[in-house]
Amino acid sequence: MSDASVQAICKAVTEGEDVQARDLVTQALAAGLAPLDVLNQGVVAGITQAGEMWKANKYFLPDVILAADAFKAAMEPLAPKLKQAGAPSRGKFVIGVVEGDMHDLGKSLVGAMLSSAGFDVVDLGINVPQDKFLQAVRDQQPVILGLGAYMSTTMLEMKGIIAELQKQGLRSKVKVMVGGVPTSQEFADEVGADAWGKEALETMSKALNLVGA
Amino acid sequence: MANSTLEMVHGLLYGKGLRFGQPSGGARVIAAMTGDHADVIPFMGPQIHDHAMTVAKVPARKYYWTAELLVDVHRAVDRWYGFDSDTIIADAYNFEVEALGAKMIYSDLAMPTVDVSDPLIKSAADLDKTGPLDPSRARIPMAIETGQLFLKKAPGPFAGGFFCSHWSLICQAMGYPKAVRALKRDKGLAKALFDWVDEKVLFPFMQAYAKAGVKNASGADAWAAFPDLTPELVEEWVVPYSKRFGEKCKKELGLTAAAGTAAGDYCEEDPTKFDKALMFKCWSAALKTFPLKVAFSGMGRTQEWDMSWLREFALQRGSGGHQIPIMASLNGRFMRDSTPAEIVAKLCEWIDVMGRDGRMLVFIGNVPADTPPVNIHTAVKAVHTLGKYPIAADLSAVKIDPPAFQPFDEWLKGQPEEDIIMRARK
Repeated sequence: MSDASVQAICKAVTEGEDVQARDLVTQALAAGLAPLDVLNQGVVAGITQAGEMWKANKYFLPDVILAADAFKAAMEPLAPKLKQAGAPSRGKFVIGVVEGDMHDLGKSLVGAMLSSAGFDVVDLGINVPQDKFLQAVRDQQPVILGLGAYMSTTMLEMKGIIAELQKQGLRSKVKVMVGGVPTSQEFADEVGADAWGKEALETMSKALNLVGA
Repeated sequence: MANSTLEMVHGLLYGKGLRFGQPSGGARVIAAMTGDHADVIPFMGPQIHDHAMTVAKVPARKYYWTAELLVDVHRAVDRWYGFDSDTIIADAYNFEVEALGAKMIYSDLAMPTVDVSDPLIKSAADLDKTGPLDPSRARIPMAIETGQLFLKKAPGPFAGGFFCSHWSLICQAMGYPKAVRALKRDKGLAKALFDWVDEKVLFPFMQAYAKAGVKNASGADAWAAFPDLTPELVEEWVVPYSKRFGEKCKKELGLTAAAGTAAGDYCEEDPTKFDKALMFKCWSAALKTFPLKVAFSGMGRTQEWDMSWLREFALQRGSGGHQIPIMASLNGRFMRDSTPAEIVAKLCEWIDVMGRDGRMLVFIGNVPADTPPVNIHTAVKAVHTLGKYPIAADLSAVKIDPPAFQPFDEWLKGQPEEDIIMRARK
């Protein structure tokens, strides 16, 4: 296996070919390619390229969705090998959509980008009650907690979660990011978050800043 | 209650230059849509259900289930703000899938939402097993009653029912990522999905509306806004289905069904990515589904737009040097997060660019629940002051004093909606 194989993986991820991406990763690993090379030069390079094309107005949300799907598919055979190889992590990132809100899309895209950046993503899912976020902070000890909301009614939950973190003495132990369509920098400041993620790429970049990477 | 026919005639004549009397809100809207202008630029009632519920302090579990409460809260809040028209819709994207058996999440504080983690349509095989829509199920009767009450209490060209249009309904039924995958990778499945929505879901719903005397319904399709869908995909899928559906409903039911509303709405969030050519493509696609020939901005980050582009588009699509009407929306988050002074400054800029020759209307692209009421009162006052015809040569010299308004609860005393709102709070 060679550069050509990681380039093919990169292309398959960028173009959102999920089945092909998974197969190519499986073949590359079977041929003895280092899992970290497959990750960085193939899978991460592919999703990063999709992100760049999104930024350049060459890709739109449907293309990014397919690329994220391909990223996930490529990670299926790769993740266990990376664990075995002891790949470094930037720390845990606990992410979830607040209670009363069932919107999964943005959170899943952000999760995929954060994984590609080396975070160990713990996805609590959607409609997550306050207690579950707090429990996850206690149990998982993440470096960052990410709160998402899609509705202007449900986003108000975020303020309560951050206040409760403070009350329970957990706030100083974790950075908090908020994001989702109705949120804004002003809202993030108001609720006392450490950062606001406008979209998936920016969230990844701000998360890296928060952990000093 | 105003006579909507007289309002319409007044608006038509006023817009054509026969400027007599004081136009009502409805007449202002008609004048701006069909002629040059009314006495002032109209401020249309926006999609406001979340915010109205918050202002009226009524519980979500009553508000989203009781047509009369929903309509009366909208009417009261719209009047309190001084909007020139009403837009009365509930959580328009949920009713059909809920009635078909989708798993929903209900809460005391927010509108119902679909649980996309357990979608109604998981594969093509589910299409045969799901539907047709039974209009007696779930909250469909409430939607129909809402349409009836809207027509009765606030008649006019925008009164009627609501529904979730084709593409958004597919997203609600199976989740956006899977729906996109079908559109981009499996056209056979995509066609089956659109046909299923068209024949087994929406047409029975429109039949029920027509039977109940609601002969006008607007189909929201925000999942078809850009960048969720590209203008090319909107043209390929949304436009033809919307057009065919509208024709079929008109022919078979005598009902005007405006499917695909908000398709093509330019909702790019990043100002550095704003692209004039792409915006024009989006607005062109949007024009093909919107029930009126207007240059339309909806939920986008319009506070960052160069509005001379929207004006240029409106002029291109108009004739004789006149622009087609521009419906310019203030972004909901801008309304929530800005100071009153910033809102006034933005409207001053917009009216200067788009409003001088008439054919301009203003609204808000979906009002967030926690928007400070003073911001909305300020916006309405600013539009009605700065937008007074003839528009002042130097708008920056026009002083907008802070709006004087009573708190909602004080204002509500003695209003026709007081009783139902107070009862709902209990």
